Amino acid sequence: MKQHRKGLLVWLVIVAVLLVLSITVGPPSGPHEDVKIAMRDAVLHDVNRVSLFGLKDVNPALISAMMVSAILLVAALLIRLLVIPKFKPVPGKFQLVLETVVGTLDNMALVREPGKCSFIGAYVFAAGVYIFFGTLFELFGVQAVATNGHPIALSAPLSDVNAAICMGCMSYLVILGGGVVHAGMHGVKATLKEFSLPISMSFRLFGALLSGLLVTELVYHYIALSYVLPVLVGVMFTLLHALVQAYVLTMLVGMYYHEVSEKPESAPARPKKHESR
Amino acid sequence: MPLNIDWQQILLHLLNFVILAGGLYFLLYKPVKDFMAQREQQYKEIDESARKDREEAEKLRKAAQERLDAVEDEIVQMRSKASDEIEAEKQRQFAEARAEARRILETAGKTAELRSKKALADSNEELRALAMQAVQKLIINDGNALDRFLDAAERETPHE
Repeated sequence: MKQHRKGLLVWLVIVAVLLVLSITVGPPSGPHEDVKIAMRDAVLHDVNRVSLFGLKDVNPALISAMMVSAILLVAALLIRLLVIPKFKPVPGKFQLVLETVVGTLDNMALVREPGKCSFIGAYVFAAGVYIFFGTLFELFGVQAVATNGHPIALSAPLSDVNAAICMGCMSYLVILGGGVVHAGMHGVKATLKEFSLPISMSFRLFGALLSGLLVTELVYHYIALSYVLPVLVGVMFTLLHALVQAYVLTMLVGMYYHEVSEKPESAPARPKKHESR
Repeated sequence: MPLNIDWQQILLHLLNFVILAGGLYFLLYKPVKDFMAQREQQYKEIDESARKDREEAEKLRKAAQERLDAVEDEIVQMRSKASDEIEAEKQRQFAEARAEARRILETAGKTAELRSKKALADSNEELRALAMQAVQKLIINDGNALDRFLDAAERETPHE
């Protein structure tokens, strides 16, 4: 009981010291970025750009996307080498998580033959994992230096309109491909009817991710909002919309893919008209 | 371009995603799916095997039941047949015993009759011999025996 009180006291002292320090230290010296510019840059990425291996200045989201991909591929490689060979018929905790993720995304893709690997299943799995972990990436606030010398926190890949357009258009092409492969011209017609799909998919992702980014940016911009609130805004919202966006896109792709790849039912034969005498 | 849309960056994002999708497919999705499918197949095989074993056991049980029923029928038939045979044997033995008894009785009757006749003949013979001996003795001891006999006979017989 005594140790308990001691621990509590130490914790309170640490909190008080950090609070005082954070108020007294003040903002860093040097050029201060205006919130309007920060907001505009979060949307357009025209101020803070990052050099891609010295070849080209790109939006920070492309660097984020590459980092997310690299992390995911390394993690997948480690899982493939260290975990999957030890899979058991009665799964352990981690195996259960992996199987649940694969199974859930497979169900979202409405895979026709659940036992087999399918293209749409693999695409939905990759897209779901990319969107989820890509959105969570902004939570870590990985730092980079912009070409103008400003330090910036790398944002979620899909908060960049280019990444969102890529995802939306690619999903549309996958749906179109499914329609061509499974239903031929009928599938093409059914897909082309949904011509607004790539735009809606792209901007849904972009809007959702960008709104999260802007709110987070706004909160972090003012020191008065930096207490307690980031726990809700930074962590809870990010987790929630990572999950929601991954769910929405995978579900839409699976649903449209299934819809356009259904073969048309043969029209019932028309009854012959009997000529009246 | 409006909104800073850059086709080169879109293509770079596409390249990045294609690499990621391919890597995830070969490293994670396919092995996990293969394992799940293999396990499902294994459970299906176990289920199928159990179903076959159950059917086989049911067939064996039916065959055993049929054999048991057949054996029971056979036992009933054999018991009935044995019972019939025992009855027939019993009847045969009774008949034989009866015939034997009759034969023994007949033989005994004949033997007894012969012995009786022989005994009667023997006793007659013996009586005759005794009578002869007595007569001879009388004749030898008393020559007037006949007269005395006659006298005795007269005395005993009352005259009317």
